[in-house]
Amino acid sequence: MKELTVVTSKSMNANYFLKKRLQMIGLYVVLTLIALYTLAPLWLLLVNSFKDQSEIISSPLGLPSGFTLSYLTNAVKEIHFFKALLVTASITSISVLLIVVVSSMAAWMMVRNKGTASYVVFMCFVAAMLIPFQAVMYPLIQFFDDIRLKSATGLILMYGGFGLSMSVFLYHGFVKGVPRGVEEAATIDGCNIFQMYLYVVMPLLKSITVTVIVLNSMWIWNDYLLPFLVIGNSSTKTLVLELYFARITAGQFGNPWQLIFPAVLISIIPIIIVYLFLQKYIVKGISDGAIKS
Amino acid sequence: MNFYKKWFWPLVMPSLLLFTMVILYPFIMGVVNSFLAWRGTYYFDPDTGTRATSMFNSFVGFDNYKEAFQDTRFISALVYTIKYTFIAVIFVNIVALALALMVTKITKSSGLYRTVFFLPNMLGGLALGFIWQFVFQIIFTDILFSPDALYLPFLRYMTQDSNKALFALAMLSTWQYAGYMMIIYVAGLNNISSDYYEAASIDGSSYWHSFRKITIPMLMPSFTIVFFMTIANSFKLLDQNVALTDGEFGTRLLAMQILRTVKDTTPPNYGKAQAQAVIFFILVSVITLTQVTITKKKELEM
Repeated sequence: MKELTVVTSKSMNANYFLKKRLQMIGLYVVLTLIALYTLAPLWLLLVNSFKDQSEIISSPLGLPSGFTLSYLTNAVKEIHFFKALLVTASITSISVLLIVVVSSMAAWMMVRNKGTASYVVFMCFVAAMLIPFQAVMYPLIQFFDDIRLKSATGLILMYGGFGLSMSVFLYHGFVKGVPRGVEEAATIDGCNIFQMYLYVVMPLLKSITVTVIVLNSMWIWNDYLLPFLVIGNSSTKTLVLELYFARITAGQFGNPWQLIFPAVLISIIPIIIVYLFLQKYIVKGISDGAIKS
Repeated sequence: MNFYKKWFWPLVMPSLLLFTMVILYPFIMGVVNSFLAWRGTYYFDPDTGTRATSMFNSFVGFDNYKEAFQDTRFISALVYTIKYTFIAVIFVNIVALALALMVTKITKSSGLYRTVFFLPNMLGGLALGFIWQFVFQIIFTDILFSPDALYLPFLRYMTQDSNKALFALAMLSTWQYAGYMMIIYVAGLNNISSDYYEAASIDGSSYWHSFRKITIPMLMPSFTIVFFMTIANSFKLLDQNVALTDGEFGTRLLAMQILRTVKDTTPPNYGKAQAQAVIFFILVSVITLTQVTITKKKELEM
């Protein structure tokens, strides 16, 4: 009798583990299918960057019948890839630097000074997060045109302004958790305000700075509307703009897929590379940003 | 401390200056201009029929708003945006939550799956829109769902019909944003202590019961953020709309409607476009604030 109970409990155990195992396998199968679905458009992008228009239409899913780089080199030329890359990278990095410096200084001072002025200014920034871009775009462009800043420089200032609200908000939340003690010790040591900001405060804000950099560079790099309104079809275009105008000019009589695919491919390669190297920080930045807000 | 007080204005000033130039002043001017016969580069004087000598002569009261509400394109864009937001928010949230539950459940290579699911977020809406246009026009229409293969008429020619395009756009956004929202849900799920689940399973609670009684309530703060972000993003969607259908076949969303109003009218009627933008602002604020209030209240109740 005693033996019997042991046996049943053993087989029940085995059953239980088998069920768990099958569940786990099922999960992996589902996740892998979704992952393949996620990657499928990128596969299309890759294989169709080496085909001509008729082959793209007749066999879009398969590997290219021959190997040629001519479509890629043509796309590099069509969208002025290297120049556009330089323009996009400069605009993005200078704007993000501006946002980081300006918003961290402001948030730091707002937390350290608790008064009506500080509160009102902070609330203005928070309330501004509700204003959609469309509500300000026409007067903004008009104003920047009037003060002769409808240019790449103006674009950087605009990004600075649009990135501020959320960044001040994130820094503000973070600085509250940083004790004053260290800063007070630094004043006693004879630090001036800029030394304190650079050597004491900023190092403590490193992790939230990563979040601010990630969130802002992602939208600035990929932004279409603001550069479209400010720079338009001039000689210094960002990657997204080059892509848009290449599509518009070549696509008046149908879709020029043999240009679009390689052009999109080369324009996203830099981001994919950055993502693969920095994905740990990017994902952490996103989830920290969400928890903080 | 006196030290901080002395430096408050100097260090806050740069941000305040940028804020005023880029947001505050244009916002105020935007509201003012929505009551004027604004033509972009000049103001029109409705009394004399010529350029106004000062912007005050250009005052037209609520005429721009009346015109906006009488414009069928604006009304249809408004309805289309609301429909789209409704569908997209449901799609994105269900997929994101399911992904988050699955990637937190598995033991191995969870990071790899997260990396893949998040990847589409790194790419711009315009570039992705072009690729998906190809998917809908060629892959879906001529290959996967053609009469020779798995014949599903609804999934063919999706970019050429207003209702189908709504789902096409929602599929694209789900593909793009679900990974981002998954990250936020994963952060929320990791915050729930496993003690709750252990206690529940000792009490004989089933998976679905635990999900409803523990996961959902404990995840409320994440719901607040994700709903806020998905509603706001869907309302303001532009790039994907431009790339996928360019507003053809009655598929204009509000953001594009405001952008294209100045092209629809000659001379470009910036006043009317601005009135639509103000309505848009009010709508977005009311809807997102209502949502945040409701979900916050739910957080407290649970």
